[in-house]
Amino acid sequence: MSRTKRKPGRAPSNRYAHWPIHLALLAISFAMLVPFYWVLKTSLTGENIFVYPPKLLPVDPQPFYYVDVWYLIPFARYLFNSVIVSLLAIVANVVFNAMAAYALTKNFRGRGITLMLLLSCMMIPFQTTIVPAYLITGKLGLLNSYLGMALPTFSTIVCIFVYKASFDAVPRSLIDAARIDGLSELQVIMKIMIPLSTSAVATNVILSFIWSWNNFLWPLIVVRDPNMQTLPLGLSRFLTYHENTTGALYAFCVMVLLPGLLLFLLAQKEFIRGLTSGATKG
Amino acid sequence: MSKSLAPMQKTQAARSAPRAGAKGRRELILVWVFLLPSLVVFFLYRILPLVWNAVLSVQKFSLFGENSWIGFEHYRYMFEDDVFWTSLWNTLIYIASAPIGIVLALAVALMVNSEVRGRNIYRTVVFLSYPLMTVAVGIIWRWMYDEKVGLFNFVLRSLGIIDTPLAFLQSFEWVLPSILLANVWQILGFYMIILLAGIQNIPQNLYEAAAIDGASARQQLFRITLPLLRPSLFLAFVIGIMTSFTSFDLVYVMTQGGPAHSSELLVTYIYKNAFELSRVDYAAALTVVQFLLLVVLTWVGNRLAGGEAGAVKTE
Repeated sequence: MSRTKRKPGRAPSNRYAHWPIHLALLAISFAMLVPFYWVLKTSLTGENIFVYPPKLLPVDPQPFYYVDVWYLIPFARYLFNSVIVSLLAIVANVVFNAMAAYALTKNFRGRGITLMLLLSCMMIPFQTTIVPAYLITGKLGLLNSYLGMALPTFSTIVCIFVYKASFDAVPRSLIDAARIDGLSELQVIMKIMIPLSTSAVATNVILSFIWSWNNFLWPLIVVRDPNMQTLPLGLSRFLTYHENTTGALYAFCVMVLLPGLLLFLLAQKEFIRGLTSGATKG
Repeated sequence: MSKSLAPMQKTQAARSAPRAGAKGRRELILVWVFLLPSLVVFFLYRILPLVWNAVLSVQKFSLFGENSWIGFEHYRYMFEDDVFWTSLWNTLIYIASAPIGIVLALAVALMVNSEVRGRNIYRTVVFLSYPLMTVAVGIIWRWMYDEKVGLFNFVLRSLGIIDTPLAFLQSFEWVLPSILLANVWQILGFYMIILLAGIQNIPQNLYEAAAIDGASARQQLFRITLPLLRPSLFLAFVIGIMTSFTSFDLVYVMTQGGPAHSSELLVTYIYKNAFELSRVDYAAALTVVQFLLLVVLTWVGNRLAGGEAGAVKTE
């Protein structure tokens, strides 16, 4: 703890005093990166699946396992399914959350209750709803369908609040001026609110993509048809069939992780803003 | 939340007060039409399931006919169900391990908040594991824990700490700590981000005033940073409670709850009952218990966060 007692946000007088912090942070960073390295190495060599001791550095890296993935399982099919489900979730989130957030910037009877309701819904983790959610989806006739997989994620409370914070920040005078110019409610949203809230839109896109892309439990429950399975389901199926007898399993992991990682690295700021604004608000 | 909303509500009320009549009614319709899609989703997949769970838990579920009422039969059965107690205990251990991750994340957050060079890179690296697909994380860690050629066994054997390879995920003592470590690895960055946001919300002038009064860095940490960080710590703890639910993916991929239910969590046991053993009604009863556990723990956490000054230190 002695390293951390420095005043937060203040520069110390001596820059060399930083070395213990660097040392600690480097150790943690190393621990955080090891699993990435290990899966990447295995996916490129696969040599240590059969041999002890494992080599720490890759020997003869080759991309064959990445090719294997396409032959061992219907990877293209899983990818397609995952993309469709994610797209449904993204579009629905961007539109529905914006609508709900815009409504919440208005004053109307029942606004307080609606806000209370949203905040309490946040405290109900999806995992505690699985049994009835399955029965409901069955009653709606949506088992084994893209819509059935995406529907529960169509609107996210955190993301509504991200939009709302952004809409609330739009100066009232701007909206009043637009009204005087004769813009309708819908035009106000499309021409003023959304263009001024591009980072909220980005946060919505990124969060709903990551959540839907990584979602495992719900597709596992609603989908029985192998043709409708998404990537996480495919990954878990692959594990059951082949155990870890082939490096292709790890190549599969890398291929599945890459889109999420790339998106995160490209839009880190929006991603983190989404998580923390949801956090501080709720 | 309620604190920040109250004034806003008032100003908004003042704004739209003059408008009334036909225009007001049109606006009211628009508001509810706009809210409808989200509310339908939350009703169908949050509120209705909550109620339905409670109802199902006192019924005998039948696929074709009507469900019949059987009172608290499932709860009585639960009381004698050893697997339930194991999974409840494991869930509690999972939750109890959250503060370890939070303390570590707090240390990291304080370090990356100082003026060290490359702090943004450190932040990114620590956070990198959070957005990953948990199923893949489970597979990667399973691989590192491998008995014969896994990285952990290799390192421990090379360092001479152990002689014979450890089957981490097949051993009764090691399986839960192993999964917990993988879980901390993934969630650490999220805790860090939450705490970092909290630290940066603390007004700088408090530190300046304290420095003028001659407070040491340690005093500033314990008297300013930690007390003011209490809401963020509470939030991190709530997230920690939630991971005992969301870790379904990790457990499912790494051990399926084995060996012999020794890594079973309530959430995996619920899944097994509902979707593998077709005991939908019993799964509903288990869910009710888990939800009550969540509510009680959150309430206790909230009391601690808002209670005495010492509360934070114990976390």
